[in-house]
Amino acid sequence: MSDIPVFFLHGLAYAGLLFLVSAGLTLIFGMMNVLNFAHAAMYMVGAYLSYTIIMQLTGQFWMALLICPIILFIIGALVERFLLRRVHAQGHLGELLLTFGLAYIITELVKWYWGNYPLAVNVTGFLSGTISIFGIVYPIYRIFIFFSAVLVGAVMALILYKTRLGIILRASVNDSEMTNTLGVNVPLVFMGVFAFGTALSGFAGVIAGPLLSTFPGMAQEILIDAFVVIVVGGFGSLGGAIVAALLIGQLQSFGVLLIPKLSMALVYLLMAIVLVIKPSGLFGEES
Amino acid sequence: MKQKSISIMTIVVLFLAGIFMPVILKQYHLNMLTEIVIFSLYAVSYNLLLGYAGLLSFGHAAFFGLGAFVTAVAIIHIPGISLWNVILLGFASTVFAGLILGGLLLRHKGSYFALLTLAFNALFYAVATKWHSVTGGDDGLSITRPDLNLGFTTLPLSGLTSFYYLTLAIMGVAIVFCWYFTHTAMGKTVVLMRENEDRMKFLGYNTNISRLILFTFTGAVAGLAGVFYTFHFQFVSISAVSVDMTTAVLLMVFVGGTKTFWGPILGVFVYVIFQNYLSNITDRWPLFMGLIFVLMVLYVPGGLSGIIMDLWQRFFGKKDNNGGESAAAEEATP
Repeated sequence: MSDIPVFFLHGLAYAGLLFLVSAGLTLIFGMMNVLNFAHAAMYMVGAYLSYTIIMQLTGQFWMALLICPIILFIIGALVERFLLRRVHAQGHLGELLLTFGLAYIITELVKWYWGNYPLAVNVTGFLSGTISIFGIVYPIYRIFIFFSAVLVGAVMALILYKTRLGIILRASVNDSEMTNTLGVNVPLVFMGVFAFGTALSGFAGVIAGPLLSTFPGMAQEILIDAFVVIVVGGFGSLGGAIVAALLIGQLQSFGVLLIPKLSMALVYLLMAIVLVIKPSGLFGEES
Repeated sequence: MKQKSISIMTIVVLFLAGIFMPVILKQYHLNMLTEIVIFSLYAVSYNLLLGYAGLLSFGHAAFFGLGAFVTAVAIIHIPGISLWNVILLGFASTVFAGLILGGLLLRHKGSYFALLTLAFNALFYAVATKWHSVTGGDDGLSITRPDLNLGFTTLPLSGLTSFYYLTLAIMGVAIVFCWYFTHTAMGKTVVLMRENEDRMKFLGYNTNISRLILFTFTGAVAGLAGVFYTFHFQFVSISAVSVDMTTAVLLMVFVGGTKTFWGPILGVFVYVIFQNYLSNITDRWPLFMGLIFVLMVLYVPGGLSGIIMDLWQRFFGKKDNNGGESAAAEEATP
């Protein structure tokens, strides 16, 4: 029984990572109504880039945490400006298929450059140590994951609901033509949203590296989980993503402890139940 | 109807050509052709969803794989089961799955629907992987094709040529039936719902029921293709139910073009031949697949059949498509 607190902490750490991945996804989906299939591929790029930066170049975890999001921000901006915007007129289908194709290209290119095998990434500095909480010795890094997710969630909520930038963002979503008429460069706003969402995926990738190690199938694995988080939490809802990530993190963690064979199915079961009871998700608005 | 006669002619010509193919082709290419015929039905069923109803599903392989696995499991666990009963069983299980999944998922549209179908495809895949005692997990299941019982006589199907003819006949009939479906009142309702759902509701159509019927129908047809997929390879693995199998059909249909009934069949030809050729020279097939997706979305959103229709129109000055306008115009005039 003494395992329970440990598994609870494991669940929290995974929930933190899940939230970091799905926050960018749900932001792009909620703001731009684009379901970004390439999101997990970007996350994979972040993870592999962090391998190069930490293990080969600088030896500093913090450097990766700083540089990767910046690089992915630029990639995201370019993708939005030169690809996504051009197919916007074709509607959802065009956008979905485009990001879908991009996901394949990016994943393949990553495998090409970094090789088709797992690479271990180590955290550096005090993060690699352990801490004693209520008598349990636990890696600091997993705690750090949880708190960085809390930090990111808090910053996003503050920007969205407490700043002028947040007002512009929400106005652009509500009525992009009117906002444009009022002198806001709406296409630039959307480019920024997509780039920021992609940067978040890169951030999540850096975080995931030391936890799960980087491997070629990491994108597909997290993509489905992140999609389930969005479905359960409610499409485009930040609060929903937080609650759903916490739920699924614990479900995964205790599922492995109690019924290892079915742990994968438990998550889908939760999704099916939510869909039957409330099709729009726990915090989703009725469409 | 001009457009009807062209479609019938295309199908008849293809079918006749198919009958003579075993005489001309070698074993290797006949194998490939059988695969093309099976995937043609799979692609046609997917196009009914994507092209006709405008529903982007990422879960079509769930039905394809279900049909494929039910076939293998039935042949292994029910000794002496006849070919027809296997087909019936595969068909019935996909109808059942279609009704349940459709009831759950069709409440959403657009991106939501795409996302949910993907998640459920992943669920099917997870079940197939983990339920080792039934599905064989990563190892897959090997079977032997049962013989064909025609009542008065029994034909062995172990040879490729005889199996090819059976496939051609059944897949051909199913494809013709799908084509017929698009010309029934039900098929037209689906197209009109894509164009203007609110108006169809005002006119008294129950759009939810129509969509559920279509979803179940396309799922069952995909399941039938899955049944023959297992027959053909005499083996089924978890790849039959994977998201990659959905991606494959999406690419086939998209390359062929969703605006015509025969476009996806063209797409299957291009896809299977191209993939066979490419996988001989490179193992970076997904990279090319991704590039084709992106380039086609950017430059050729209408697919190959779109290009052909444009050329046709340029030279003969007539438009021949199944698109919303023509169908909607027909319905709206009286």
